[in-house]
Amino acid sequence: MRPENPGPNVVLLSLSLVALAAWLGLDTVSVAANRIVPGTGHGVADVIGVAGALVSGVPWLALAGFAWRPTSRRFALALALVVLMLSALPAWLALSAVTLVDSAQARLGIGAGIWVVLFLLLLVMIELRSRLVLSRPIGWALLLPPVVSAGLCLSLWLEPLALWQEYRGRSGQFLGAVVEHLLLVGVAVGTSLVLGVLLALAMRRWPGVQKAGFGVLNFLQTIPSIALFGLLLAPLAWLSANVEWLAALGVSGIGWAPALLALVGYSLLPMVRNTFVALEAVDPGVIDAARGMGMSRGQVFRQVRLPLALPVILEGIRITTVQAIGLTAVAALIGAGGLGTFIFQGLGQAAMDLVLLGALPILVMALLVDALLGALTDVLRPGGAK
Amino acid sequence: MTELRRWAVPLGWLVLLLAATLGMGQLEGLFRWIEADSRQVIYARADFATLLGRHLLVVSVAAVLAILVGVGAAIAATRRWGRDFLPLVSQLASIGQTFPPVAVLALAVPVLGFGTLPIIVALLLYGLLPIVRNTLAGLEGIDPGVMEAARGMGMSGGQILRQVELPLAAPVILAGIRTSVTINIATAAIGATVGASNLGDPIISGIVNGNTAYVVQGALLIGLLAISVDSLFSRLPLAGAR
Repeated sequence: MRPENPGPNVVLLSLSLVALAAWLGLDTVSVAANRIVPGTGHGVADVIGVAGALVSGVPWLALAGFAWRPTSRRFALALALVVLMLSALPAWLALSAVTLVDSAQARLGIGAGIWVVLFLLLLVMIELRSRLVLSRPIGWALLLPPVVSAGLCLSLWLEPLALWQEYRGRSGQFLGAVVEHLLLVGVAVGTSLVLGVLLALAMRRWPGVQKAGFGVLNFLQTIPSIALFGLLLAPLAWLSANVEWLAALGVSGIGWAPALLALVGYSLLPMVRNTFVALEAVDPGVIDAARGMGMSRGQVFRQVRLPLALPVILEGIRITTVQAIGLTAVAALIGAGGLGTFIFQGLGQAAMDLVLLGALPILVMALLVDALLGALTDVLRPGGAK
Repeated sequence: MTELRRWAVPLGWLVLLLAATLGMGQLEGLFRWIEADSRQVIYARADFATLLGRHLLVVSVAAVLAILVGVGAAIAATRRWGRDFLPLVSQLASIGQTFPPVAVLALAVPVLGFGTLPIIVALLLYGLLPIVRNTLAGLEGIDPGVMEAARGMGMSGGQILRQVELPLAAPVILAGIRTSVTINIATAAIGATVGASNLGDPIISGIVNGNTAYVVQGALLIGLLAISVDSLFSRLPLAGAR
């Protein structure tokens, strides 16, 4: 009941203190003599000495201080500090590379401390963003300085960074894998969108189709993804051996064909369910009003039902796309390509940085798609209300 | 009688699962027909019952931990002293949903090494989100009038939680647990790629050796397991609404 002088912001306070503990307590980097041997961890004090380590705790305490007696001005200052700290993380790696790495073969690994701190800082950012009621574009713009800083450090000082070395060893391949990944996801989602809308329309007309359709699609979802990929091996191999034009298209037991089929199969359920529910959920009163205004059936569908259903349909596309990005990674097991290739290669060679090279972009991709489609849904929501 | 009829469907699936696990060898003729070129058509590196047991163990350990942590976190975030954390927890639950399970698994391996531990951690993290989301929705969805009445009757905070909030939110929470467990039964199979031995093993081995019969065996058992567990959940007394 004291709006002018509320108590401390517990969330920000505890996050910054936990982050401080992680920063000083965990290894921030590890140095390995070559690609395969496990690295030795180095804490903050190994890089800048004990006195330096104590000084590096100051920003965290400042953050905690802002949280102690919060005002919106202090929240803004805290946000600026967080952006600065995020931008400083790559610089920290660069500093570690300069002080700790002495031979050309040695590699710098990113330690648990950095990951934990990065995660906690992003949480702090989310918290501050919602406290300050910042819009989505501003939230994204705030990530720009850290990204620029990371790019700059990578190109200038971070040659020994293991992740970066893995990337430079196969930069062409990496780009190809990203394109393959996006292509598989795009085609699968596009196909399932067309099929899903048609199926949902058919379900609305014939209740029999509805029951059978949902039965089959629900059943498909219970088959684990790797199994579905594997199960398509034999039938497609048989098809490509016996049907000439399919073989000419490049269809075979392994590769993109079984991957795409399985992806579409998995994508159909969320797509059909959301489209069906969206079209059904439109208020009958609105439809009656539209009919009363003399609109034809086609007009009602195109100008009333579809626009009103669009946000929920888009939600279905979002869920489907995010799911497909993850499933495509599994498809690498049957030779479909994409970023999953790096994950499984890395697991096979026990080269963890190669695993990261595959997994991190997949994660970023999923988050980006989620955010973009989420923003689009918000824009298309009629009047921002319903 | 009605009690028996209610459990008939899940029991039927369970019997089918057990029969398939123990009697896979009897189906050799069928698998011989599927995979005519291979010498061996029944996965033999481990017993199917053992694989099923390990699969169940990993999924249930992860599920128990996820329920404890997830329901606990959601309850904490809806108490008065934890309210501050509510926006963060609910945003985290929705953002975390976008993390692909393979990526989570792959990121867990560098930290935890190969074997069963990274799977349990990945399944725990992944299974946490539907539980947190549903528990929050269930607790937030309770009619404020009911809470007011409970407080008016002189109930303490703990009493309200145990006797009013949790029972009212139970169906929604249970639906979250159901989603979480069903997804994790399928996701655990991916664990076979990082060295955990479970029902994913025959599938991976089948893909690597080009032996469809192995893939069918693994997929069949995982599918039956998922269906059995899902139908068990659907018969639980609280799961009326879904």
